[in-house]
Amino acid sequence: MTDLGSRPPGTELDATDTEAVESQEIAKAESIWQIRWALFRRSFRANWKLFRRNRIGLAGLMIIGLFAVLAIAPTFLFRAGFWETSTYDPVTGLESDPPTAQLEIVQVVEDPNTQIDIRQVLVDGRISGNLGDVVDVTLQPAPPDSKHWLGTDPLGRDILSQLMFGAKAAFGLGILAATVTVLIGTVVGSVAAFYGGRIDALLMRLADLLIMVPGLAILIVISAVIRFQLWHLALVIGILSGFGGVAIVLKSQALAVKVKPFVDAARVAGGSNARLIFAHIIPNVMPLSFLYMMFTVTTAIQSEATLSFIGLLNVDMSWGLMIQLANNQGYLLQGGRYWWMVFPAGLAVTFIAMAFFLVGRAMDEVVNPRLRRR
Amino acid sequence: MTQPLLKVENLSKLFPVAKGFLRTPTDFIHAVDGINFEIQPGESLGLVGESGCGKSTTGRMLVKLMEASSGQILMSDKTQTEDLIDIANIPREDMKRFRRRVQMIFQDPYESMNPRRTVFETVSEPLTVQNIGSLKEREERVSEMLRLVGLSPPDAFLFRYPHELSGGQRQRVAIARALVLDPSFVVADEPTSMLDVSIRISIMDLMLKLADEFDVSYLYITHDLAVARYMCDRIAVMYLGKIVEIGDTEEILGNPQHPYTKALLSAVPVPDPTHVKEEVAILGGITKAINPPAECRFLARCPWAQDVCRTSDHPPLEDKGDGHYVACHLVESALARA
Amino acid sequence: MSRPLLEVDHLVMNYTTEKGDVSAIQDVSFTLYEGEALGLVGESGCGKTSIAMSLLGLAADNARFDEGEIRLDGTNLLALTPDQMRQRRWNDISMVFQGAMNAWNPVYKVGDQIREAMDLHFRPRLSSREVEARIAKLFELVGLNPAMINRYPHEFSGGMRQRAIIAMALSCDPKIIIADEPTTALDVIVQDQILQELKAIQADLGMSIIYISHDIAVIAEVTDKIGVMYAGKLVELGPTKEVFARPKHPYAYLLLSSTPSVTGPRRKLAPLEGEPPDLLNPPTGCRFHPRCPYATERCSTEEPPITDIDSGHQVACWNWQEVPELGGLTK
Repeated sequence: MTDLGSRPPGTELDATDTEAVESQEIAKAESIWQIRWALFRRSFRANWKLFRRNRIGLAGLMIIGLFAVLAIAPTFLFRAGFWETSTYDPVTGLESDPPTAQLEIVQVVEDPNTQIDIRQVLVDGRISGNLGDVVDVTLQPAPPDSKHWLGTDPLGRDILSQLMFGAKAAFGLGILAATVTVLIGTVVGSVAAFYGGRIDALLMRLADLLIMVPGLAILIVISAVIRFQLWHLALVIGILSGFGGVAIVLKSQALAVKVKPFVDAARVAGGSNARLIFAHIIPNVMPLSFLYMMFTVTTAIQSEATLSFIGLLNVDMSWGLMIQLANNQGYLLQGGRYWWMVFPAGLAVTFIAMAFFLVGRAMDEVVNPRLRRR
Repeated sequence: MTQPLLKVENLSKLFPVAKGFLRTPTDFIHAVDGINFEIQPGESLGLVGESGCGKSTTGRMLVKLMEASSGQILMSDKTQTEDLIDIANIPREDMKRFRRRVQMIFQDPYESMNPRRTVFETVSEPLTVQNIGSLKEREERVSEMLRLVGLSPPDAFLFRYPHELSGGQRQRVAIARALVLDPSFVVADEPTSMLDVSIRISIMDLMLKLADEFDVSYLYITHDLAVARYMCDRIAVMYLGKIVEIGDTEEILGNPQHPYTKALLSAVPVPDPTHVKEEVAILGGITKAINPPAECRFLARCPWAQDVCRTSDHPPLEDKGDGHYVACHLVESALARA
Repeated sequence: MSRPLLEVDHLVMNYTTEKGDVSAIQDVSFTLYEGEALGLVGESGCGKTSIAMSLLGLAADNARFDEGEIRLDGTNLLALTPDQMRQRRWNDISMVFQGAMNAWNPVYKVGDQIREAMDLHFRPRLSSREVEARIAKLFELVGLNPAMINRYPHEFSGGMRQRAIIAMALSCDPKIIIADEPTTALDVIVQDQILQELKAIQADLGMSIIYISHDIAVIAEVTDKIGVMYAGKLVELGPTKEVFARPKHPYAYLLLSSTPSVTGPRRKLAPLEGEPPDLLNPPTGCRFHPRCPYATERCSTEEPPITDIDSGHQVACWNWQEVPELGGLTK
């Protein structure tokens, strides 16, 4: 219990609590925004305590933190001069001093389709020579060394740098998609729940429709019409999910809130429909919305990887693109020898998706008091 | 001659029983069926009955949480300067202003406050919505209200959340919210039934005290006759959508005329082990709430039913003397005989 | 003079929670005799439901019985293994739970659920015909039409479901029934019918009943002996008529003199301020002292012992003699 000696003598509190003291402290604030901020901080602290109890949530947060560091790193590294753009740029960089090997041209292959020796194909593709010549061949993709911690790709670009840029893309995409989804889904769900009747039926049928249609197919079709950039993808995912599955889930939550007496109380006070929806129903649906935000991020990132892999996305560098490159050049099947081509991007997608999911699960306990341990 | 604060005329609420997807319903549940009553200024009326009698529905219609199917709700304001306005058929533009006259206190102290809003926001919501006062003024008014309902010092409660308060404290906040607009009239729907017994009484005393200070009347909805007696000057007993008896509290409880009231009264447990209970005179018949036939609603359960109860429609509420109204053919005839 | 059936002897129980120990039952002792109806009255958090669950061996996982015994026919129930307790449960003591109307599994017929209880507990095992006959008799006993045995719970009204719960509680012929708020969610008229029936059944079968309720009017109606509980302690115990006529604990006195009633004076003075205490950190000394108008210095430091006033009437208060006669306060 806190020391309550600062109260003037003779005043009695109905309940002597830390909360009472806090409340008094807040009451001393000057403006409504100070008050709101103080209240926010207080509830944030309380929620954080709850969240902290759950180890998987913390693990998820740590992983996200790690990726966030990865995402910001390039800016810092380039500015501070640790990385020269010429070498480390994920798209245009080229290792100027790659490991090389001396190879003797032993055979001229007429039909490249019958011989699968990659090095020979490359040599055939880039260097001309005659039988018996010994040529210097740059060994790209090169395994990790002190200059390139995750090695280089076939074009001599630094994999770690690509991973970092991919992280930036993933975060940007994920958060944008999740935000759009949640905004749309919350409003749609709440409006449907509040009005019921025909509006509800219309919105829910729309949602059913969107769930039925395979998302990937829609994305592919859309990509044929516009040059699909990352933010387009975010928007499309946001709209499809927002009006679709997320709306249905949030509607049922909004319905549970709508029948509570405090909504009636707000109406009796004279509140308009808009006020009831936006000031009362939606704030009580928000915790669930945030939960779904987490899950939407994973969906968005995985969709991006898929689309990039298929080659439909117009993006400079992303994890999906890394995997696509690896596949096109045939490295995916050579996972053992060229592991740095295969694993980093795939693991990145997996881990970040898992991290957001774990955070979502931990948040579930905060949001849903019934799941808490005693 | 003062006009009544509230006058309900022939108020009804019918709920359609869904027939199918596109067919018009032909069956209706008569939740509230043509009731009449008045409340004078400074008077509290108790609406008493068992579950399904229509008392909560009536209360909700009075605050426009539910639209009446038919009938009129005539209300004046407490200064008695304006004419009665019909709330049941009020135009939308006037709705908001009307809300200042009638407020409601809900049953569940845990669910009647938005859990994401502080006490200040909850109590000041009516002020905010009605655009009354600046922020500073609202804070002052809310502080004053909190003090009046016994939550002192107000600073300690202004910025607490509902889950940080006990049930009794929450209900006090609910009372503060209901009275902050200085309404003429408050509908209280079982405000103490979910509270601990010892707290119940202090909340009821608070409501009585504030009724005087704020010059506000209550429509007190409850299933508990003892509580109705404590809180109300007059009592109306409802059964299956009808008011079967209405009058001064002590008169009704001391001299119940309608068979249902008698049954209710004899069934109520009394905190006195030496009290010998009368036999509860009521039959176990099933009563129809859907499309009720033209007979006395209480017929199936009345131990004294006669032919007239079967052949005539449900008896109207009639004055049996001294403002004691009863809806029963037999009571009338007894008095007529006398 | 009937014999003592159940003896609760200086029972102490705490709940271990993350925030600390919650002192739910604090040195409670009482005796239940054969054929007696005992009432436990108190508000939320007073410990009455905790006691009920403890008697049935159904206390929560984090409940710790630090001291005391619960003796049924001489056997300490707290010392039994879970299996032994299971044999006793329902056969010797059964319970009508709070909200029992909703305790019916909606996908099974009511008769089947009672049959299941009997299969699990009733010994010797009866043939299915004997079980049928017994359930039919039980239904009649509680005022239900035996034709309803093979119906589903949703076909019963609230009052009927409650009666069926009572039938289930009686099914294994227990010596004691614990009725925890048996009529709280029911309408007044149905409540009265069920209470009258319980009284009749108790008289017919010679059973003992423990009624648990926050409604002192209900307790007044159906019990021979009443125990008033506050914050985990039994503050007053005695014959119902005696306690209602001469309550000697300030809490009991204030409660009785302020409860609204349809008889007697309309409004009485009710200076019961404050709220029930937090059991994580109960007040020192007597737990009621912060709200007690008769409290003295001693009350805040020392817990009052149980004092015998006269035959069977006990009170736990230092200043019980200050408590005035009832009826002294009117508005």
